[in-house]
Order: sequence, then C-alpha cells, then structure tokens
Amino acid sequence: MSLLDFFTDPVLRGPTWGTLFMCIASSLMGGVLFLKRRCLLGESLSHAAYPGIVAGVSLFALLFPEHDESAFFGMLAGAFATSFLGFKAIEWMEKKEKVRSDAALCFVLALFFGIGTVAASAMQSSLPSWRTKIHALMFGQAATMSDFHIALYAMLTSAVALFLFFGFRHLQAVLFDSDYAKTAGLPVRWIDWAIFWLFLFALILGIRSVGIVLMSGMAIAPAIAARQFTDRLQSFFCLSALFGALSGLAGNIISVMGTIALSKSGERLTLPTGPSIILIGAAIALLSLLFAPKRGWAFRICRIAAFRFRCLQENVLKAMWKKESYLFNEFQEIHRVVPLMLHAILWRLKQGGWIVKAKEQYILTADGRRKAASIVRLHRLWELYLASELGVSHEKIHLNAEEMEHILTPDIEERLTRLLANPKVDPHSQPIPERSFL
Amino acid sequence: MNPYWDCGFCEFFRIFFSRAFDFLTGVPIEAASDEIQFGTLAAVALSCGLLGPFLVLKRMTMFANSLSHTILLGIVLAFLFASSLWGGEMFSPSTLMLGSLAAAFLTAAFTEGLVKFFRLQEDASIGLVFSALFALGILLVTLYTRDVHLSVEAIMGNADALQPGDFKFASLLAALNLSVLIVFYRQLKISAFDRQYASALGVPASFFHFLLLFLSSAVSVGAFRAVGVLLVLVFLTGPYLTARLFSSRLSRLLWISPALGIFASGIGVALSRHALSAFGLPLSTGGVVVCAIGLIYGIGIFLKLIRRGKLQPCPKENASPS
Repeated sequence: MSLLDFFTDPVLRGPTWGTLFMCIASSLMGGVLFLKRRCLLGESLSHAAYPGIVAGVSLFALLFPEHDESAFFGMLAGAFATSFLGFKAIEWMEKKEKVRSDAALCFVLALFFGIGTVAASAMQSSLPSWRTKIHALMFGQAATMSDFHIALYAMLTSAVALFLFFGFRHLQAVLFDSDYAKTAGLPVRWIDWAIFWLFLFALILGIRSVGIVLMSGMAIAPAIAARQFTDRLQSFFCLSALFGALSGLAGNIISVMGTIALSKSGERLTLPTGPSIILIGAAIALLSLLFAPKRGWAFRICRIAAFRFRCLQENVLKAMWKKESYLFNEFQEIHRVVPLMLHAILWRLKQGGWIVKAKEQYILTADGRRKAASIVRLHRLWELYLASELGVSHEKIHLNAEEMEHILTPDIEERLTRLLANPKVDPHSQPIPERSFL
Repeated sequence: MNPYWDCGFCEFFRIFFSRAFDFLTGVPIEAASDEIQFGTLAAVALSCGLLGPFLVLKRMTMFANSLSHTILLGIVLAFLFASSLWGGEMFSPSTLMLGSLAAAFLTAAFTEGLVKFFRLQEDASIGLVFSALFALGILLVTLYTRDVHLSVEAIMGNADALQPGDFKFASLLAALNLSVLIVFYRQLKISAFDRQYASALGVPASFFHFLLLFLSSAVSVGAFRAVGVLLVLVFLTGPYLTARLFSSRLSRLLWISPALGIFASGIGVALSRHALSAFGLPLSTGGVVVCAIGLIYGIGIFLKLIRRGKLQPCPKENASPS
C-alpha cells in the first residue's frame, strides 16, 4: 500500500479526502475563533450538538428506515439545531444572568451532553444499530466515508475559503478593531453572523472524522502553530490550513495503518481517527511553540542567553579599561560567574582581537581599549542624562546605567551627545571618554 | 429481589424512606442497586456541591473541564505504573487516587507552562492541552486494555453497573472534601476572593490552588463510573449557579448547592426507575440526574423572574429606539 493509494483507492480515498477537507475548514474557522480569543466556544458547541445528533438520527431512522443517507441529514439538522440552542443559552447566561463566561460554557456543554446521553440510552432498545453508529461519532470514525461525503466536505471547505478570500478586508477590520469597523459602516453584525455559522458548519461536519469530544482541539491546534510563524493575517490563515491538512492526512494514515497492524495480530479493534489527528496536530503545535523562529521558545532562550553573554563580555572589557592588566583569579573575584563561563568570555574577547594574553596577564589591545572606552562613555552619558535631564538623584543612577550601557545604540548615543552638548564630565566628576569610531 | 422492581416515581420514595428508616433502626437489609446508585450519585453531588462554588469563583471551571478529560490519561498511566509495580487493578482506589494526582499535576503543569513559558493565550492553552492529553489517553486505553467501550463509558458513565465498592470510594471522597473544607474553609475562602490579600496574610495561595485542582480531579475520578467525566461538570456548576440565583453569601451557597445536587440525584434515580417500570425504557441514570439539575436551574430562573416581576406583560421595555 503506497501513499498514493490513500488518495485514489475507492475504499481509502473517502476518509483521506474527507478528513483533509474537513481539517482545512475547521482549522481556518478555528483560526478566526483563536484570534477572537474564544477557543473554548468550540468545545461547548461540539458537545451541544450531541443531543441533536441523537434526536435527528432517531427521527429520520424511524420515519425513513430504508434510507441511510437521510439519517445523515437528520443528524446534521439536529446537530445544528441543538448547537445553535446551546450558543444562545450561553449568550443568554452571560448577558442576562451575568454568569461568568467559563461557568456558562462549562454548564451548557455538560448539560446538553447529559440530555444527549439520556436520549441515546432511550434509543438503545429501539434502534440498537444506530446507537453504535452514534457511539463511533464520539471519537470519530473516518473509515466509512464515501465519495458523497467528499463532495460535501469539498463544498464546505470552498465556502469557508471563499468567505475568507472575499471577506478578507472586512474580516481583518472586524477582528482587529471592531469599533473602527462599526464606524466605517461595515456590516459587523453580518460578518459576526457569517463567522458563527461557518464555524458551526465546520465544527459539525468535522465531528464525523474527529469526534464530538476532540473536535475543539482540531480547531485550536493548527491556529496555535500558525500564529508562531507569522504576524500577517493572510499567512496566518494559509499556514493554519496547511497545518490542519497535514495533521488530518497524517492522522488518517496512522489510524488506517494502526488498524491494519492490529488486525494482523488477530484483534478486531479500530484505532479511532480523532485521537490520531489530534495528536499529530498537537505535536505540530508543540514543535512550533518550541522551535518557531522569532516567537519560538528555543529562539527566545537563545536570544536571552546571547544578550547575557554580550553583557558579561562588555562588563569584563569595562573592568579592564580601569586597570591595565588582570590575572584570571582577579576576574573571578569581580565577576561572580562560573570559571567555565569566564573562560568562554575571555576566549571570545581574544577571538575578537580585544584582549591578548601575555604570560598569566590579560591586557587590552588598542581596539579593545576603544571598545571599552565607548562602553564607559555610554554608561557615563546615561548617568549624566538621568541626573541633569530627568532629575534622578545621584545614588540611583549607577544601577540603571549599568543596564542601559548594553542597550543604547550609536544613534541614541549621538542624540544624547547633542542634547547634553558633548559633555566631558559625568555627575560623579569622572571624565567621559571621547567618542571613538570602531 | 430488588424491592424497587416495577415501582413508580412516588412509590420509589415511599419504599426508599421506609427502608432507610428500617436501616437506621437497625434492621439488617441488603443494599439494592437503586440505593447504591443514589448513594454514589449523592456522594458525588455532595463533593461537587462543595467544590463547585470555589471553582466558579476562581474562574477554574474550564480547567475542571480539562481535568475531567485528562483524568483518563492519568488513570491509564497510574494503571500501567501500579500494575507493573504491585499488580494494581485498574479501578482499585489506590490506582484511582494516583491517577487523579497525576492528572491534576500534568494538566496544571502543561496548561500553566504553555502560558508562562511559551506565551500562549490561556484559552488556547487549555484547549490544546486537554485535547492532546485526552487523545493520548484514548489511544493508550484502546491499545492497552483492548477495550473500545471503556473510553466511551468513561465519557458517558454507566450508573447501572455501579457496585458497592464504587459507593464506598465516592463517599470516601465526599468525606475527604468535607473535612478539607471544614479545616481550611477560611483559607480557601480568602484565596478564592483575593489571592494577593491571602498571600499578604501568609496563606499559601498556590498550595490551596493546587489542593482545589487535586480535589476536583479526585472528584472527576470518583464520578468516572457513575456519571462519566463530562457530566460531572454539571454537578460542579449547575447547583452552584442555581443557588447563586437566590443567595450571594458563600457560606449559604455551600449549604444550598450540595443539597440541591443530592435532591436532584434522588429525583433522577427515581425518574429513571419510573421510566423503566412504566415505559420499559432503560434510561442512563447519570444523564437523567444531569437533566434534573438542568431542570432545577430552569425552575430557579423562572422563580427569580417571577420574583423580579419581569413575567408580567410589560410592553414598554421592549420598545427601544433604533
């Protein structure tokens, strides 16, 4: 079984394409909710769909016992009805009863799910085969999707994509500045309405492959990953769709392969699709949180470490500017750092050509002297600025300048020099070194 | 055999109270399955009614939602750990407690870690963590126990399969919750309303925060078999929200919400028995209790509206200039 088979084989292609489209749709709409900071709404709405699914399926299965497809539509209609009801209930509790948002979400979620549980237990004796089918919806079962479902999901995904494409400017305005959007006369209510209904559509259709319980995760994880890589809305949506598609594909393949592997060992056990998709999505999100450039954790840690290292280097240079030569032990007494770290700093300074080691002594080179002088200059300029311009008392200026000397840029130095009329002496009556160009 | 066989709603309570009277006066009787159900549900309702107010006040209910999902992973991990070390059973109390501790710890660590170290917004962090951990839990359960129904049962609960052991565990938990609340009432109250003030008074607010997490995770475990991990959320929030309609004093809320929960459990068990005897419908008892709590909330709102006088026809209010 090759990878291509998943897309072309008449049995396998249904789940593959269906999951793919559904994941793209839900991750796009999930992205919108992520930016609105209402991620957990998806959790409540997908659970609130449960009683509707049960009721719709039972109704249609009793009315038209022969047509399986009609029960599918009954399921969709019921799911919409109760999800919408759940949303209205949440809104009402928040606005009229002043219930805290999280409590309202939680209460409605579980209450509707409870009603669904009762309804499902009621159909246990009358419609046992449908009950097992509904149970499969709990964690998603992509395996039984047909070409009909592919068409349905493709339509939904294109609807979502078209909405985002044509409504992009309006959406941008509503998401980032709804007051501006209102004053600019944009149809804010209509856009909010469209967002809600498309989100609901994506959520309910997605239940088929990911399952009621995990559906909200599907809407969240790709958006989290996408946000790590970009600040632009267009690329955010593109990346979110890409990550959604990736997790959908990989999750489906894992589920199919896993089921086959399990059946080889003689077990009749299906690996549910939902958890596999969610785990892949969450892994992508976690990796992006860790390693994305700029916003990723690893990158941030490295940047902080590099900055600390540079500060230490500059402090060592500054110390050497005040006294001609240093022994290694003397450094250790002044700068309380680990010997290994001190070695690294000194090695780096030697590499930069700022210091040389003669016997056991460390001495500044001409370049190093200039560099150290410029740091001392920044320190004293800043002290003078704080004391004379901002009126900070003399005891307090040193500590602040200790930090600022590493941060001030040549441009700010230039402005400070002009503002203070190229001063020669700092508030502690120490000379300020001349400006030198490295 | 079962004294409640084929009895209706009112008859259920008559038999129940007469049997309870017999039991209290020392007549030895064997607990019927309905009584075990009621006892377990009432114990769960008691624990939830005591914890719920604090969770809502601290805006932690969605966190309780994640806990109720991640508990599955916690139990699986504890089971793997216990079965390899001392051959523990999946549903023995020690495994369950270990699992709830693991779940509380994992969920709290991940959710808060993502917010603190990865600068993720809180709602997204909660959603990501619980869905990922829950997905992992389902996969592990499916692979290790080779039982597809266990994970469904974990969500839906199966009150009809309750055993005396479950009742013992649930009442133990209720006793734990009650004693913690009695001992630490002041500290919990202060840290729920004003964390800064609490730390200024020397109350270790983070400790009580985690204690609350652990207790709610333990309650989810206790409710695991009776009502399932999702429906327990109604036990946590519903009675409190209903009580909150009529009172805003914490001490009074802490009386009313457990009472409402226990009341709803009784109604629910009786209703479910009534449906079975009158219509031959085997309803999920946990679900019926949840519906009863929802109904009580609805009645509460209705009563409140009447009290406010909002239900009288008042045409002026709706007419607003547009």
